[in-house]
Amino acid sequence: MTLKINVDGINREMTEEEETAYLAFTKKLEADNKIEAEAQAAKLAARQNAIDKLGLTADEAAALFG
Amino acid sequence: MAIQDFTAGQVLTAAQMDSLQANDYNQTVSTKTASYTLVAADKGTRVVMNSASATTITVNTSLFNAGDTVYLQNIGAGVSTVTAGTATVSSAGPLAIPQNGGGLLYFTSAGVSIYYPSAVTASASGLVCVKAETAFTTASTINVNNVFSSTYTNYLLNIIFDASTELDVQLRLRVGGVDNSTANSYKRQTIEASGGSSTVTQTQRDNYLLGAGNASAPSAIQAYLFQPFSAAKTPIMSNNQRSSNTTTIFISWAYHDQTVSYDGFSLLTSTGTITGTYSVYGYSKTV
Repeated sequence: MTLKINVDGINREMTEEEETAYLAFTKKLEADNKIEAEAQAAKLAARQNAIDKLGLTADEAAALFG
Repeated sequence: MAIQDFTAGQVLTAAQMDSLQANDYNQTVSTKTASYTLVAADKGTRVVMNSASATTITVNTSLFNAGDTVYLQNIGAGVSTVTAGTATVSSAGPLAIPQNGGGLLYFTSAGVSIYYPSAVTASASGLVCVKAETAFTTASTINVNNVFSSTYTNYLLNIIFDASTELDVQLRLRVGGVDNSTANSYKRQTIEASGGSSTVTQTQRDNYLLGAGNASAPSAIQAYLFQPFSAAKTPIMSNNQRSSNTTTIFISWAYHDQTVSYDGFSLLTSTGTITGTYSVYGYSKTV
């Protein structure tokens, strides 16, 4: 399926060059999102690890750290 | 015919009477094609400005007396402004006379006048549409060119759309038809709230995440772009809601760190397509 672009209100199919650029964009976006999600998961895991070490309940942790 | 000073014994001719009467019913007109300073002979007449460029009508003291009037009119494209020279000019309205406007200049004394405008320039709206509501259909990319200019500093972007699937909508600023995709140049902090809890993320990318949508209901994005046309860093703020069983709210602030003057922007989906409309508004710089 050819992807569509809207340029200043005109809908049309993407040119080969535009489609290549768009697919490169989405590929990089996906990679960036994955890196960010992994970093966020690691951060949450570290937080949970610290909470576990302190022996806090989830409510207590929320009261302390938000 | 200018006002006459008849003396005792002088014969009033029919021509003079007709001329004086004519001024009552069809005022004597003097047309000016450049800025003009009123003179005593203008009393009781109509001064018509006709210039494509802006002009002034200067009012000086000691030329008129209490009760004298001059009708001021502008038929040219250039705005003509009643300007106090050595006399004072007061008005409850604007002193600028737009094309096809006019007004009465009335003297309360030799050096004090009041201008009563009969037509005024329409005041500019605070929010001016610079890109009318524009539809897009099953688009993965939307390019919007030539919407930013020196006329406005800050802009509002409204987007409402249906998404083909769960997706994000990213923005990139552009100039001359080319997106700026400099790595890490869009520095963003986002709060996303859903189901009673929230997540805060901070990141820097080669694009700005405006918001998201899904296939279950229309989504709306409202974005504020600050000084995009200035060759300065561009702050951006966006609000977004998307609905499913619960409404997700997304608030994001960012700035784009490139000191570049932009004339437009692009919207890019992370996947899938969007169908809807967008419109762009400029915030007036003046009241």
